[in-house]
Amino acid sequence: MAEFDTKLPVSGEKNHVFEACHHVVKALRASDNNLDANLRKLLSDLESHLLTFGIADTKVEDAGFSEIKERFKEAVKIIRSWETNHSTILEAGLSEVNQFFQALYDVQSVLVGFKALPIKTNQKEKDVYNQATVALDIAMLRLEKELRDVLHQHKQHVQPEYLAVSSRRKDIVYDESFVSLDDEVVVEASSHEDDQQISDFSNSDLVDPSVIPHIKAIANVMFACEYDQAFCEAFISVQREALDEYMVTLEMERFSFVDVLKMEWEDLNGAMRKWTRVIKIITQVYLASEKQLCGQILGDFESISTACLIEISKDTVLSLLNFGEAVVLRSRKPEMLERFLSMYEVSAEILVDVDNLFPDETGSFLRIAFHDLSKKLADHTTATFLKFKDAIASDESARPFHGGGIHHLTRYVMNYLKLLPEYTDTLNSLLQNIHVDDSIPEKTGEDVLPSTFSPMARHLRSIVTTLESSLERKAQLYADEALKSIFLMNNFRYMVQKVKGSELRHLFGDEWIRKHIASYQRNVTNYERSSWSSILALLTEKNDSVRTLRERCKLFSLAFDDVYKNQTHWSVPDPELRDDLHISTSVKVVQSYRGFLGRNAVRIGEKHIRYTCEDIENMLLDLFECSPSPRSLLSSRRR
Amino acid sequence: MARPTEFQGSFLSRISIRRNQIVSMDVNHEHELEELEYFQKHVAERFSELITSPSPHHSSSSLSDAAAVSHPSDPILSIPWLQNLLDVFMSCEAEFKAVLSTTQISKSQSLERVLPEMLDRILKALDLCNAVVNGIDSVRQSRRLAEIAVTALKQRPLCDGSVRRAKRALTSLLIGLNADERRDRNSGGSGSSNQRRTTSRSWSFGTRSNVTGGGSYGQVVSKNWSATKQIQAMVANLVLPRGAEASGPVMPVYIMSSVMVLVMWVLVAAVPCQTSSILVAPLPLPKHQSWASAAVNIQERIGEEMKRKEKRCGGGGGLMEEMQRMEKIGLSLMEFAERFRYPADEEEEAEVAEKVDEMEEICRGLEVGLEDLQRQVRQVFHRLVRSRIEIVSVLDQAPAI
Repeated sequence: MAEFDTKLPVSGEKNHVFEACHHVVKALRASDNNLDANLRKLLSDLESHLLTFGIADTKVEDAGFSEIKERFKEAVKIIRSWETNHSTILEAGLSEVNQFFQALYDVQSVLVGFKALPIKTNQKEKDVYNQATVALDIAMLRLEKELRDVLHQHKQHVQPEYLAVSSRRKDIVYDESFVSLDDEVVVEASSHEDDQQISDFSNSDLVDPSVIPHIKAIANVMFACEYDQAFCEAFISVQREALDEYMVTLEMERFSFVDVLKMEWEDLNGAMRKWTRVIKIITQVYLASEKQLCGQILGDFESISTACLIEISKDTVLSLLNFGEAVVLRSRKPEMLERFLSMYEVSAEILVDVDNLFPDETGSFLRIAFHDLSKKLADHTTATFLKFKDAIASDESARPFHGGGIHHLTRYVMNYLKLLPEYTDTLNSLLQNIHVDDSIPEKTGEDVLPSTFSPMARHLRSIVTTLESSLERKAQLYADEALKSIFLMNNFRYMVQKVKGSELRHLFGDEWIRKHIASYQRNVTNYERSSWSSILALLTEKNDSVRTLRERCKLFSLAFDDVYKNQTHWSVPDPELRDDLHISTSVKVVQSYRGFLGRNAVRIGEKHIRYTCEDIENMLLDLFECSPSPRSLLSSRRR
Repeated sequence: MARPTEFQGSFLSRISIRRNQIVSMDVNHEHELEELEYFQKHVAERFSELITSPSPHHSSSSLSDAAAVSHPSDPILSIPWLQNLLDVFMSCEAEFKAVLSTTQISKSQSLERVLPEMLDRILKALDLCNAVVNGIDSVRQSRRLAEIAVTALKQRPLCDGSVRRAKRALTSLLIGLNADERRDRNSGGSGSSNQRRTTSRSWSFGTRSNVTGGGSYGQVVSKNWSATKQIQAMVANLVLPRGAEASGPVMPVYIMSSVMVLVMWVLVAAVPCQTSSILVAPLPLPKHQSWASAAVNIQERIGEEMKRKEKRCGGGGGLMEEMQRMEKIGLSLMEFAERFRYPADEEEEAEVAEKVDEMEEICRGLEVGLEDLQRQVRQVFHRLVRSRIEIVSVLDQAPAI
């Protein structure tokens, strides 16, 4: 500051200098309509200063320069005082902010004034100019810090509690043997709630709106002083860091390709779920807000605003895209279908948002990358869906399924299909042009809903047809015709129940349901015929001798024991079906037996009759209970 | 072609015949050999294109000032040269797939072994591509810093304010170009680097994020990921096929893998990447084989550059020719800035103007070049993704032996 204290020399040329300055400023203002608002203000400030000084100068020599010197000294003092002050100017209050900006204007005035001077100025004046450049640089650096601090202190995050990854739905557990997906899987359509939450927050502010004018003022001044690059560097780095931090609060880790390909299914499933959620939040909420912020601050410089948004988001966006690219390289396990479906669904949904975020040429590479990924996910999802059917077709068993109950393949497939109606639109668009043989080829009178004839419905029916063929093959493994019927009955009944009791019914249609009910009822008839016809034939006597009657009665009891021994291990898990089966069997068997005994009991003699009608009735109730060990005949009389 | 089982039988017997050094090959194998020969020739030719330097005054020191402004042949490790390298890679890749399509029916056990290894290498290359894409962004940031220095030093009259501003930008630029501060600490004795560090500290007092060059482009791939380690892992199981295998379908897989590793190695050397160790070990290429000789030459030359850089400032990535020139000019501008006293005389101003122009020229070149290079690396990425899918389907479809 020592040089600064030396008095500025008074010169006779000064009037000319001021006039020249004045002239230049006026000319500048007149000539360029595109001048930035702040620069225009600056110029008019300067103009008024020059006017005052000029007038003052004509009256009293020296007075003008000493006033400039004083103002300049004061301005430098203010700027310097902030150089080492670590709190923000904003915190100090509006008057401090104004004072700082005024000081900056004063310094800038000196610079503009001197720049307009003719080349020949004396050393002292040059020194003042030099001091002014340093003061300006200090001020700019201070504003850069101010920008970082204000952005950092006033940042606002989209509330993480609203964004917690929903874990309401049960995941499909990775299992190649189709045993894991069981009945307790409950489909809860949570995605609509998610939409709600997201739209509530789509206008969230990343920075407290009250500080925006301050930041905008910093931007305008730094741009006017040609420190635009420094402004952008600082702005980008703070905002990028904030985005990184936000990704951490969303718990979205970065994974390499090697990581993703090696990951266990459970971890990958979680990561995919997270991705689906995060990419939506980032594109629809966070970056939309970031774009809004860039616009608020740099709205006057549109191309710069766009470039900043890209720089801020690029790194994070590419890492999210890379995760998608890596996942597509995983093999197409049917278990992954649901995750792929939701990833694809989201990737298609956000394309509109991405196009809005990066509308112009500079953002085209990000835009294209999103579109490419969505296409890849579509292909991969479709392929995974189609592979599901192949996997069902190739599921072979070597031994008959114990007890004729519901095969795990049936459970798996049906519960799997139940998850899909949530993705109806997506699946319909993916499967649109993929032909499939359908069990209901044409619209018939019974089905009126268009959904029954949608591409998805046709594919689902086709998958179930494949399942049916697989079950037929598995049924052939039973030596016992009756058990074979029970097996098919159980599994078809299960399929029908799953369809009827879920959204699937609109897709499969009434005709399909009717046909399949008829199919398992046919199996009920088949069972009764193959299991009971020959036994009941024993009870039709034709003028038999007592001996023959006794023999018939004995044979019946033995045959019944045999059936009892076997069929108590058989399984009919559906209680309604089991009751029906008990009733219809009971009606046939007990009636025939009662008739037989009624006609012949006296002749046969009580000691030759092993079972009463009540015995038979009670014992029949034990059938299909899937008891683990052969039931003792005596203990069975419990009801 | 339509009788795969029969063919496999004959293929298996061929192996045993060859073991006895009896040359007995069927038509298919002859075709295979032709393809292999063509592929090797293609690789040799394309790679030698990369090292022909027709210009006489463009000696081995490609980083000398002579190479600075528009040179007819692209200096090694410059952006245009790297772009050529990627072109070469793409064309070799296309040829490789042509070879593979002729050999896929004769699926052998050895192929069954090496193709999954190649899939693994491709996976690692994908991560490397991503790291390189990100590394290019850090070079872009260096360019922006250099531009600030250019803007500041173009002010006339040159005065303390602008020089102060330029010095700040140059400090960040030079730190960024040297990738990390650790190296500064290691070479602690040198006055200039100490100076650099203190300057940097004094100006960035309020910054909470590290704006210095590559600092904010930290972990891009995943935690603990290192480009150098990836390359080492890619080479780990890369073994030159010997004996009968050297003329079999395993050979093109070996060649293509080597080409891929080499290209990735060059990219990692040229562009600053997330890495743990500094020196990248050279790959064991079979010098004596015709296809490899040009590649070996390239590798040696880059190795020399690496050593030179290591001697100068502790090594590390970022051998890109433009970055090295930027660093050189940056250093001399920094020297100028440090001895600057206001007012500058005309001679000084003229001298610095020349350097500033040169820096501006580099920046201009980088503006387009980096963007193109990044796009091309992304293309390579997508090509590798496609290749991987194709190889997987070849492996899936081939009947198990």
